[in-house]
Amino acid sequence: MGLSRLVKAALDLFRSSLQIRALVYIVALTGTALVVLGGALSITIGNGLFSTRTEHTLLESARAKSQVDRLFSEYAGYSTWELNQGIATVVPELEQTGVSQSRSVAFINASTLPNAEELASPRSAGVQLNLITKDFRQLVQQSDEIQSQTIQIQLNGETVPAVLTGQRVELPGGYDYELYLIYDMKNEQQSLLFVQWTLFFGGFISLAIIGLSTYLVTNWLVKPVQRVAEASELLAGGDLSRRLPVRGTDVVAVLANSFNHMAESLQEKMTDLGRLSNIQQRFVSDVSHELRTPLTTMRLSADFLNSEKENLPENTRRTVEILQGQVDRFDRLLSDLLEISRYDAADVVPDFETHDMNGIVGRALESIQQFADSKGVRLETDIPSGEILCDVDPRRIDRILNNLLTNAIEHSEGKPIKIRVAQNEKAVAVSVTDQGVGMNEIELMQVFNRFWRADPSRKRTTGGTGLGLAIAYSDAQAHEGLLEVTAQPQRGACFRLTVPKIQGFTNIVSPLPLAVEN
Amino acid sequence: MSKLLIVEDDDALREQLEIGLAAQGFEIFVAATGTDAIPAFEMNKPDLILLDLMLPGKNGIEICNEIRKTSGVPIIILTARTEDSDMIRGLEAGADDYITKPYNFDILLLKIKARLRPFEAKLTEHPIIKIGPVEMDTLSHEVRKGEKKISLTPLEFKLLLTLASKPNEVFTRESLLEQVWEYTYKADTRLVNVHVQRLRSKIEDDQENPKLVLTVRGWGYKAGPE
Repeated sequence: MGLSRLVKAALDLFRSSLQIRALVYIVALTGTALVVLGGALSITIGNGLFSTRTEHTLLESARAKSQVDRLFSEYAGYSTWELNQGIATVVPELEQTGVSQSRSVAFINASTLPNAEELASPRSAGVQLNLITKDFRQLVQQSDEIQSQTIQIQLNGETVPAVLTGQRVELPGGYDYELYLIYDMKNEQQSLLFVQWTLFFGGFISLAIIGLSTYLVTNWLVKPVQRVAEASELLAGGDLSRRLPVRGTDVVAVLANSFNHMAESLQEKMTDLGRLSNIQQRFVSDVSHELRTPLTTMRLSADFLNSEKENLPENTRRTVEILQGQVDRFDRLLSDLLEISRYDAADVVPDFETHDMNGIVGRALESIQQFADSKGVRLETDIPSGEILCDVDPRRIDRILNNLLTNAIEHSEGKPIKIRVAQNEKAVAVSVTDQGVGMNEIELMQVFNRFWRADPSRKRTTGGTGLGLAIAYSDAQAHEGLLEVTAQPQRGACFRLTVPKIQGFTNIVSPLPLAVEN
Repeated sequence: MSKLLIVEDDDALREQLEIGLAAQGFEIFVAATGTDAIPAFEMNKPDLILLDLMLPGKNGIEICNEIRKTSGVPIIILTARTEDSDMIRGLEAGADDYITKPYNFDILLLKIKARLRPFEAKLTEHPIIKIGPVEMDTLSHEVRKGEKKISLTPLEFKLLLTLASKPNEVFTRESLLEQVWEYTYKADTRLVNVHVQRLRSKIEDDQENPKLVLTVRGWGYKAGPE
């Protein structure tokens, strides 16, 4: 398991790093080339060494034969006993006179003459007769030439290649003998081994050097590309001020240059956009401000007319009422618009104070009671006793609650509304659940959008501005809290406000469920 | 007949205010610029000032500061700028209350009347009420801290007296709005906060570490131990 994970990690690295991939390819290719080259060299050198040695042995063997011939030229007509004297000197003589450091000798009696068994078959110590196979002896017996064969011998406990030569010798008196000489190739073997080790180490070191230089060169090539990649990531993440250093005039410098150009124009565009957006926000805010003074005057005028309406004819009185109502509506729209523009300009700093959430909810319920009564809607509460202290901006919380309650009453179709308050360690939540018309999923997604109304054909009884829930949502966010909603058509809707008890609490979990009534 | 000074640069609004308020029986004086405000105040000695914040010449905050140097006359700020900082700065400069445009005439009238209502402290056996080293004379409305005379606006006097008359009782911001400002409807509780701050700056040794007007977290304020 551990191994497969290791392999997977290595594969991932291989796939993700251009540099590692280049490194692996180059090392693998040069490694293969080095193995082929080393193998070829090793074979050639080995062959050379052994063939030279074999040639030498053949020459030496020829010399050895003439030496033996010379030795026995004086033994013509000697008895077998005397011949044995001569035979005994052959092995020591040949062992000593060899040019090679070591050669073993076997002088084997192959005669079929009647008294031939009286003659000895001496051999050097350590020469096993089974080294000389029957086939090879037959070859030697049937030929006048020197025969040779490569064999393996045991030398000081290790197996060593050797050359075996064999030739026929005729002793005085017509006795057939076979002269075998064994030349070990220990030195050649060692030389070859040395050459092979040298090749191996040389190859290994070359491979290491090639690997290292590949790494350095690719590093040098890949690093700038990597820097561009990193900078692009940061740029994409929003850091528009990111730039790359430009060195020299090569392709990397061109890349860095064009990256910088791209970042530059992107930044300019974003700044332009930001300025436009600022101008727009400022405009909305300025318009709202500028409208306030004339609106105040209109309002005061309408109020004055209203106070005098007893003295006005019926139609004019109604006109004053209409004027009054529309000025009110205009006023609400303007305040909401101004509030939204302040949120858009991120110009909202809530006034956090420690307050009792139950108290805030209680007051909100009190102030909405009259409206609920007028609609015949019962407000049911599930509020824990005691205080729930939390750091909030009471005016904003009150505004949220007022919005939620007004909405719920408007859409409740006369069915009761449930108001719940609950707390846990970190958070406090208020939920307002009605059992009215509810919303479908598409409506649910738009509920916090500006100027969105659940049902455009619906009569606007309270003259809401259409900005209420959008502002409530921003108000909740200003508390680091959340305003959430769920709904089902014809079963009602549940709005849930969750705020941290103390600003800075994170990962808060709402203590209340978000669900419509069963 | 109470005298009102309206400092407002918008002609139409100023005229409509004048018409409306005159119909309610007030004697009205007007100033159209910031520079005219102080001379108009000194000449007419109004009982209450309605003061716009954005004025040509001299802004409302400066005017407020200047008037407060010599007088505790009730000042109500009229502002089109809902930015809380402006409103708070106005209150900190010594205004008693504020009203945000566009306001309702009835509410404005309610605020004016509340500020003009003569303040009568309930007579007790001892006309002198003490809170720590501070002595309040409920008859002459004089306040002393040791030998030093402290000048409080009528509203600040009323606030301190309300707190000091029931030492160690906690008053919520809402109940203070009701008892001191005489607002029975929902009003901005920050009025209380700012005025408590102003009061502290006048009577406390160390404003950051108040001993006389204490904050009760999550609840409201109370007068400190005697």
